[in-house]
Amino acid sequence: MDVNMTYATQEMWTWWLAIYLYFGGLGAATLAVTFLTDMYLKPNRALVIWGAGAGVILLALGSLMLFGHLLDKTAVLTILNPLALFNQSSAWIAWGTQFIIWMMIWGVLYALPYVRETEFPRQVPGIRELIDKPFVIGTATLVQRFHRSVGWLAVINGVGVAVYTGLLLQSFPAVALWHNPAVPLLFTVSAFSTAMAFLLVLMYTILHDQADEHVRVLYERIDLVLIAAELVILFSLYQYLKNGSESGVRSMELLWNDYGWLIGFIGFGLIVPFLLELKGVMRGWASRVPILTAAVLVLAGGYLLRHYFMYAGVYAYPW
Amino acid sequence: MTHYAMVIDLNTCVGCNACMAACAMENQTPVWDKNKWRTYVHDKEIGVGSDVQRRFFPRLCNHCDNPPCMTVCPTGATQKKANGIVFVDQDLCMGCGACAMACPYHARIPVTRRDMRTGREFYGSDYRRTSPSMDKCSFCDHLVEQGRKPACVETCVGSSRMFGDLDDPNDPVAQMVASGAARALMPHIGTRPNVYYIDDIRWRG
Repeated sequence: MDVNMTYATQEMWTWWLAIYLYFGGLGAATLAVTFLTDMYLKPNRALVIWGAGAGVILLALGSLMLFGHLLDKTAVLTILNPLALFNQSSAWIAWGTQFIIWMMIWGVLYALPYVRETEFPRQVPGIRELIDKPFVIGTATLVQRFHRSVGWLAVINGVGVAVYTGLLLQSFPAVALWHNPAVPLLFTVSAFSTAMAFLLVLMYTILHDQADEHVRVLYERIDLVLIAAELVILFSLYQYLKNGSESGVRSMELLWNDYGWLIGFIGFGLIVPFLLELKGVMRGWASRVPILTAAVLVLAGGYLLRHYFMYAGVYAYPW
Repeated sequence: MTHYAMVIDLNTCVGCNACMAACAMENQTPVWDKNKWRTYVHDKEIGVGSDVQRRFFPRLCNHCDNPPCMTVCPTGATQKKANGIVFVDQDLCMGCGACAMACPYHARIPVTRRDMRTGREFYGSDYRRTSPSMDKCSFCDHLVEQGRKPACVETCVGSSRMFGDLDDPNDPVAQMVASGAARALMPHIGTRPNVYYIDDIRWRG
């Protein structure tokens, strides 16, 4: 049928959804990385508390973004029920909600024994009384017995959240930029890259412990690989978009003609941190400033990726 | 089994917008916002110089057999009846907007609490909506259940909009679809829509 196409971007999910996706990926990946570090690399109480805290707070803030934009907030109760998954197993938001809830629950439980051993929470009114309650002590003791199992439950749900942020966008078939297998990969890799960057900032500033040097070096190396992977995925995505459907071509034009994407995200969010971290891994830096700079740039780039992705999705309407 | 579908003949659509008005009054949609009509007739000038044609292109929910708005709906508010009609359970819908993001036909519209307040003033005491939701065309299923046709079809002066049963081989709508004269929009997306269009030969010629 002869139609005259109209190409349009959307105004339904904008910057606030980008924040939801960003905080979701960053918080969940941070929690997963810190718990895995604690379980298999080096027991690290401070890192776990920061990881669990970041996971819970960032996910709560991100979820608030989505919640604040719901038309009927009371209806959200439907998807808080885990049984909702049986009714709507095809909907990634239903999966994501459960991943978020259970990641928070297992994350807090995993961190609980460490929180009870830490001085700072005991100085906070409310928390001090709470963590000394008999059922909290009993729970912490129980968690301690099954610490690794609880950790894995948190990690699995955390990875689920990180992957979900990409799968959510991939489930919209009308937009070529979103509806392709590169998106969940890109968002997952980006989530873990920003988590590494977040932890590097943390470990070079607040948690500056010399004994954690090998952990920091490992995070830098992993981040380097993740940024490289992100660049490869972006290159593949570019190739896919430039010779695909008109929706894809227009998205490509929107993105690659925008300095915010090209210079902001790809330049300063990926290439510059890659070079800084590469130099750090190969020859080392005399100061922590270059790696801190790289980490901050990666964190900013993580948001820019999601921001531009939301605005550059092009619908092709046949009218 | 009944399988409802609509055929729109672009040759006979005169762009009177009576379908839009009939739909709005029947379903009490937010007519004060032009982006929130369940059905909308696009008016486009095609051509150059003195060889310009006006094309009226009515659009609405395509009641897909594989509706992406339904698969992404986290609460299960978007549902499909056995007769092919895709509808929204207003009470279940939390209005996340995922359906609008998934729909290739721009057929999902947010009806907010503000719209409801305006609606109560505009439609008066007859206003039926009880909660905000992502709204959509329902093929006027409340009329169809009474053996009538959707309001837009009943009011169409050019008989451009036709409504029928694809599973009834004697139904003119089924015959137009089977013959290939009426074709779906963007079938490559895999939504298997149930709104079909007859191309305007005038423009093609």
